[in-house]
Amino acid sequence: MNYNWNWGVLFEEQYLNWLISGFGWTISVALSAWCIAIVIGSLVGVGKTVPNKVIRGICATYVEIFRNVPLLVQMFIWYFAVPEMLPEDWGRWMKRDLPNPEFVTAVVALGLYTASRIAEQVRAGIETVPPGLSAAATAHGLSTAQTYRYVLLPISFRIIVPPLTSEFLTVFKNSSLALTIGLLELTAQSQQIAEYTFQGFEAFTAATVIYVCIALVATILMQVLEKYTRIPGYVGKEA
Amino acid sequence: MIDIENISKWYGDFQVLTDCTTQVAKGEVVVVCGPSGSGKSTLIKCVNGLEPVQQGRISVDGDDVTAKGANLTALRSRIGMVFQHFELYPHMSVLENLCLAQEKVLKRPRAEAVTRAEKLLDRVGMADHAAKFPSQLSGGQQQRIAIARSLAMDPIAMLFDEPTSALDPEMIKEVLDVMVELAQEGMTMMVVTHEMGFARKVADRVIFMDNGAIVEDRQTAAFFDNPESERAQDFLSKILDH
Repeated sequence: MNYNWNWGVLFEEQYLNWLISGFGWTISVALSAWCIAIVIGSLVGVGKTVPNKVIRGICATYVEIFRNVPLLVQMFIWYFAVPEMLPEDWGRWMKRDLPNPEFVTAVVALGLYTASRIAEQVRAGIETVPPGLSAAATAHGLSTAQTYRYVLLPISFRIIVPPLTSEFLTVFKNSSLALTIGLLELTAQSQQIAEYTFQGFEAFTAATVIYVCIALVATILMQVLEKYTRIPGYVGKEA
Repeated sequence: MIDIENISKWYGDFQVLTDCTTQVAKGEVVVVCGPSGSGKSTLIKCVNGLEPVQQGRISVDGDDVTAKGANLTALRSRIGMVFQHFELYPHMSVLENLCLAQEKVLKRPRAEAVTRAEKLLDRVGMADHAAKFPSQLSGGQQQRIAIARSLAMDPIAMLFDEPTSALDPEMIKEVLDVMVELAQEGMTMMVVTHEMGFARKVADRVIFMDNGAIVEDRQTAAFFDNPESERAQDFLSKILDH
């Protein structure tokens, strides 16, 4: 193979700035989407366990739709199809006046998709709590809302920290799909550097290293969270 | 105080309670016994509305539990309940276990709730363990805390659902001691248990259930010395001999 290695391009000011900017967009998209996903995922996950059948049905439908359609398709639908389906004024606003349309669309698409996955984990966490505990809370006069707030959710969120860690890592990796709707995040910037310099190996190696570093930091953060919220002697091994 | 009138309950097609009627007067201690699957636990879970009934009426201190739209949360906060598997909140310290419902349901100020909790922990001999978590304690200790947690709500009556069945033999006594003391202080109690020694010592009446029906409902001495039904005679001969 005849390839001229040149790691130096990565540190040329223009390309370095592209990488930094891409890194910034990746972090922004992933963290914004994560916030949406945690809020909606928790609500939908709780909704799948409440006694009311209508709410359970709505939440189950949400999960099945958003979890079963490929994320890439969802990105395209939000970006290309939704503005056409809305009333004309709204659609025009989305296409013309929405600030940072690629960013906003990517955050919404990734957030709602990840929410459906988090909802399933929240539901599973709640169902793992022994039923006797909510019976005890009910027997002491706590309302259904209070039982969730003080007993079911604090326990189930601790139980699901490990699977949530995987989900947290996935949201960074999935954010790379935003390049398909034109957001210049990390993968898009690497691709651009490769096209400008013909140094594809270096460009994508840089992206790889940055993704791995993000993942390591995210994992460490979640481990700290797990350790900090651990119930003494309850679940998991003692650290 | 507790009035159970002709209640029947089904799970699907399966009838778990058949036309049960009994009363528990204020300050009375009633033991409910019978073979497993006879509906004892279900019966007392109906008293605080944890299990709905399809027929009949239950009232506690004049409040109808079975009425549509009954304010069950208010009613439940006045009836203590102790479970077979303790059901302490695992993510809270012992002290917080005792304070949660006091603060959130009774709206007691924090300081008052803590004072009440500490007093009750002292009473059940657990004052030194207030900062521990449930999983760091033995079953007997956990059950004593569960009793204290219910007492913190100043209940007008206490329900016990096989409180010693999940305990190692040497821990049963420490829990029964607390219950005996409570009975002697005049607490109204309905106790599902197989501890016949406890029944003899403190129960005013014994209810014997079989197949979802109340077969005998008699004064304690009469029940043990002279059970009427063959089913109760058979049951007693099996559990008293061993």
